[in-house]
Amino acid sequence: MPPSASTNLGYTPPDGGWGWAVVFGSFISIGFSYAFPKSLTIYFKEIQEYFSISYSQIAWVSSIMLATMYAGGPVSSILVNRYGSRPVVIAGGLMVGVAMVTASFGTSILHLYLCVGVIGGFGLAFNLQPALTIIGKYFLVKRPMANGIAMAGSPVFLSTLAPVNQFLFDQFGWRGSFFILGGVLFNCCVAGSLMRPIKIPVSKTTEDNISPQTAGQDESKPSGCSSKLNQFIDISLFKHRGFLIYLVGNVLMFFGFFAPVVFLAPYAKHQGVDEYSAAFLLSIFALVDMFARPGTGLVANTKWIRPKIQYFFSFAVTYNGLCHLMCPLLPGYIDLVVYAVLFGLAFGMVCALLFEVLMDLVGAQRFSSAVGLATIIECGPVLLGPPISGLLVDIFMDYKYMYFACGMMMLAGGVFLFIMNYYNYRWLKKEEKQRNAEELQIFSTKELAAIDEEIKLSIEEKLKD
Amino acid sequence: MAAVRRGCPCGPASPQSSSTTLQADMAKYMAKTVLLLLFCQGIHADTTTSPESDPVVTTRKAAPKGQGQVIIEELAILTPQYIELLCNLTDIPNNPPYMTGYWTKDGKEIENSEETINRNNAQYILKKTFSIQARDLGNYSCVFRENDARVTFVLQVPVMKDKRDKPVVSYIGDSVVLVCKLKHMPNTWNWYKANNTEKELINVTADPLKYKILLNGNETKLTVLNLTEAQSGKYICSAEFDIKASESQVELKVLSYTEPLKPFVAIVAEVLLLVTLICLWEKCSKPKHSSSTADDVYSEQTSKLTHDESNGVENNTTRQRKLEH
Repeated sequence: MPPSASTNLGYTPPDGGWGWAVVFGSFISIGFSYAFPKSLTIYFKEIQEYFSISYSQIAWVSSIMLATMYAGGPVSSILVNRYGSRPVVIAGGLMVGVAMVTASFGTSILHLYLCVGVIGGFGLAFNLQPALTIIGKYFLVKRPMANGIAMAGSPVFLSTLAPVNQFLFDQFGWRGSFFILGGVLFNCCVAGSLMRPIKIPVSKTTEDNISPQTAGQDESKPSGCSSKLNQFIDISLFKHRGFLIYLVGNVLMFFGFFAPVVFLAPYAKHQGVDEYSAAFLLSIFALVDMFARPGTGLVANTKWIRPKIQYFFSFAVTYNGLCHLMCPLLPGYIDLVVYAVLFGLAFGMVCALLFEVLMDLVGAQRFSSAVGLATIIECGPVLLGPPISGLLVDIFMDYKYMYFACGMMMLAGGVFLFIMNYYNYRWLKKEEKQRNAEELQIFSTKELAAIDEEIKLSIEEKLKD
Repeated sequence: MAAVRRGCPCGPASPQSSSTTLQADMAKYMAKTVLLLLFCQGIHADTTTSPESDPVVTTRKAAPKGQGQVIIEELAILTPQYIELLCNLTDIPNNPPYMTGYWTKDGKEIENSEETINRNNAQYILKKTFSIQARDLGNYSCVFRENDARVTFVLQVPVMKDKRDKPVVSYIGDSVVLVCKLKHMPNTWNWYKANNTEKELINVTADPLKYKILLNGNETKLTVLNLTEAQSGKYICSAEFDIKASESQVELKVLSYTEPLKPFVAIVAEVLLLVTLICLWEKCSKPKHSSSTADDVYSEQTSKLTHDESNGVENNTTRQRKLEH
């Protein structure tokens, strides 16, 4: 086990039993959160005609939904810190369901921006964060495995929602489909009801759970408004070395993370591949991704990888970057299929480990605040990445510069994480040694004090005699 | 460009034979063939004029391959015109002094179209000028009798490629937009509603509250407002060219709001059922859980106490030992 804050839970997580039902609930929540905004693109053409708007105007719906989902992270974290995962997920499910039903009656594109984009986005944010947090509460030893399985929800739901959405569109048009999708999204409430709050022993540990940030407060002793903010969300995380390393590495990585997925099919068509084969590439990618995530969780759970899981994550990011650097050198269709398989594997590895390493760094207690702060900061590169890549393609009229740029960003992120985590592990080991030495000192002084006491008592008794 | 691509062979798959070399060579020549495509709207001049033509003539060239390999050229005809179709056969082994060729329309040989072609620098050129009116549109093929080399020119009005085979769905009281697009700009667009076999022209001025038509050059949009169930059916957009109209149809289905309501209610019922089941399960397993958690609490606390006690016990023993000594 790495010398980190992961053991500060104060109780032993069950690592099984109802935990697997919670993993299933998280699977559903995460699946809807990541897959739903992407699957809406099927309706765009029809809605575009209906409202007489341009494609970029309709594409804003997806972008606003994703942006709100990421930006709503801190709000979600605050609510989870106060009320626990279950109520927040149920509320999120209701919000997004009602949002879609309202959107089906929309009379202008602004209605769609508000309903689907803002309210729907917040609803999904209230699904994503708590789903991740509760895994840390139920699992410790098998946590990477649980995280891998839960994160697999995203590709599974994307592959399922795409044909379902097409079917709904053919049968009911876009309004009817939005109406029915609202109902489908109410299933997030089912996922939420599975997320039973963990039955922790009542004693002093409850204090820790209600206000986990008190530990942080003791360390930093903030004053004024920052201490008030600290009641809701753990701002002291910004002084946490591991968290900062994670943030910087991830911001670098996310600039080049999603763009290659978005441009896989257009790049293939540009190389002369026909439309169906290009779409098939995406299916291969999604299929490999689906199995890579739990597979990575399994591998990360082994006793060789688990202590050094940060290195495994850095390796996954670097491997991703290398994949993209090699892509423009592959001309034929078979090469593109190989690339899709390798990229699917890399993408799945990074996604499976993304939140596991954060839990590993900050510990399950502070995870809910950490993930909220991380997602709102990652919001920027996630949203800017694909448009900037698109700009690169437009300027150079060639996809290879975009792939080089994405590959370099991910390589930079991966190398940064490698180096900084090496130092972080060393510093953590040093700090642990120091702590042990201090405890030993304290114990030995206590012993000496106890021996002192005994001597005094025995002298007194002898005097009495 | 289309002919050039089709002319390129996929690979040397056939066995070695003189006909294969012929095909390969012709294919090679095909790759170098340049197609001239000139559209005349009846006003400006083109580069090739037949000697007898006063009206301007469009020329289309293609090179056939032998042994039944069919080359198809699609030509979009917008106006009645004279068009000269030219077939250029090359690389015939033995180089006979003449060949015979004829023309077919829609598979049937055109009467008196057979002619003898003299060799001209190892090329055999078969050409014919056709006067194309609306009734003359169809598939024209030049055929060389000796080796059955042929090219088929498909003469038709521009066809709308991106057809929608699935019906457009909308709801009562809602509006819907139907779109038709073409590469070439027609003189005008017309919309019809099909009633069984009859076509009824949609007149915006007669029904301004029901229909809106937008004409935008290459595309047209029909907006049907305040839909009723009776307005379901086939809608036909017609691109009017000088020679003929090009049509495409799209089907509209108007549903009532109760249609999506049924699956919605079913799904919500399923959600409520599952949530209820999960809550019941939790309540049922709670008595077992609550007693065990009490034990846990007890055991937790006792373990903490025993820790402290053990510390104390140790002290006592050391003290006792000290006293004894």
